[in-house]
Amino acid sequence: MSLDYVKFSSGFEKFMPKEYRDMVEHGPFGKKVSVSQMGSFKEVLEEHPMCAGCAMTLFIRLAMIAFPNPEDTITVGTAGCGRLAISQAAIPFVYGNYGDQNGVASGLSRGLRLRFGDKPKDVVVMAGDGGTADIGFQQVLHSWFRKERFTTIMLDNEVYGNTGGQESGMTNRGAVLKMAPLGKKFEKMDMLQMAKVAGCAYVATVVPNNPRRVESVIKKAVLIAREVGSTYIQAYTSCNIEYAIPTDKVMEDAKNVENDRYQFSEYITDEAKQFLTERYGYKEFLPKPAAPAPGLPKA
Amino acid sequence: MYLVADISVEICAAKSCKLCTQYCPEANTILYSDEMGKDKGFKYGSAYVAVDRCKGCAQCVWVCDNMAKNHAIKMIMIDQLPVAALTDNITYGEKSTTATLVSPTVG
Ligand code: SF4
Ligand code: SF4
Repeated sequence: MSLDYVKFSSGFEKFMPKEYRDMVEHGPFGKKVSVSQMGSFKEVLEEHPMCAGCAMTLFIRLAMIAFPNPEDTITVGTAGCGRLAISQAAIPFVYGNYGDQNGVASGLSRGLRLRFGDKPKDVVVMAGDGGTADIGFQQVLHSWFRKERFTTIMLDNEVYGNTGGQESGMTNRGAVLKMAPLGKKFEKMDMLQMAKVAGCAYVATVVPNNPRRVESVIKKAVLIAREVGSTYIQAYTSCNIEYAIPTDKVMEDAKNVENDRYQFSEYITDEAKQFLTERYGYKEFLPKPAAPAPGLPKA
Repeated sequence: MYLVADISVEICAAKSCKLCTQYCPEANTILYSDEMGKDKGFKYGSAYVAVDRCKGCAQCVWVCDNMAKNHAIKMIMIDQLPVAALTDNITYGEKSTTATLVSPTVG
């Protein structure tokens, strides 16, 4: 795992497809790219079968741009829509059995540390709300309690979109879905609070209608997970099929939901703040310069 | 036939905000060229669509209309586009891309 794994074996360049050559020569590997440069470099995500206009697709696209070192990153996923795109990128992807992604990621991140020592190798789990909060719940929580050093991202579309619209733990109370015709009877699970109780060092919520913010929280989460502990991002990534959102209104929906019940939130421990400041030069956590004391007579 | 997004160089290059490139759900689909529009006297370049990758969701139309407030993107039947960008005819440079426009249905 390094920059070399994407390069061509000598003599094979001319047989590689154009997309591959573009990625090696003009992709993000070994460089710093940001969302503000989107449209001018070749992205690692290739064509995939996710539905047109899906907000989850946009979020995955942004996440892959935000990874601090894509050439040193492994993604882990499970059954669900997201894996249809996550697996179509030039970033190694491990497909766990349903629900065991955080167990797989625990072993993987420990193994990479044994093999590569201090050289950062990032493990990022991206799984749906069903995979994270229902079927994978036990392994997710235990990985957090054990303070496993990798990032868990929940692609929260608030439904089992891949299997016809069953309610998940993350569906809102009262939501009527194709396979939940009487409406959900229980509240949406508070995974954010659980992540804090279980000891995550960084917990954030985002909505993809703010690409720069998505980039910023993913970068922080991945960097903190290198040393400090588990990090968790919960992203609202609507299912326009199961919630019948016209595709040209997906961003309008994201904006409304963000204002209504998915406001940006960020929780970060003091240890994580100190780590980002000292190791990666973050300025936002430095103490603000003290304001001059009011009412003192001028000298 | 099916709809794809089409960006008017004249309208886009007057603003050139690059917002749509950040909101298209598909990667490597709305690209940006510093050169496009220069021949028409515009200072900045324009966004354009690799129509072979566009899934026709029209999210970019909403973004250009409502966020950029520029109305540069329209959905159009692919066989009504005389020329368009296709992945095979796009060249990546250091900071920008260039595209040779061809008939999208003939290739
Ligand atoms: S959002 Fe509109 S004005 Fe901005 S780059 Fe895209 S097409 Fe051009
Ligand atoms: S219509 Fe959808 S897929 Fe096509 S360019 Fe616009 S946002 Fe991208």
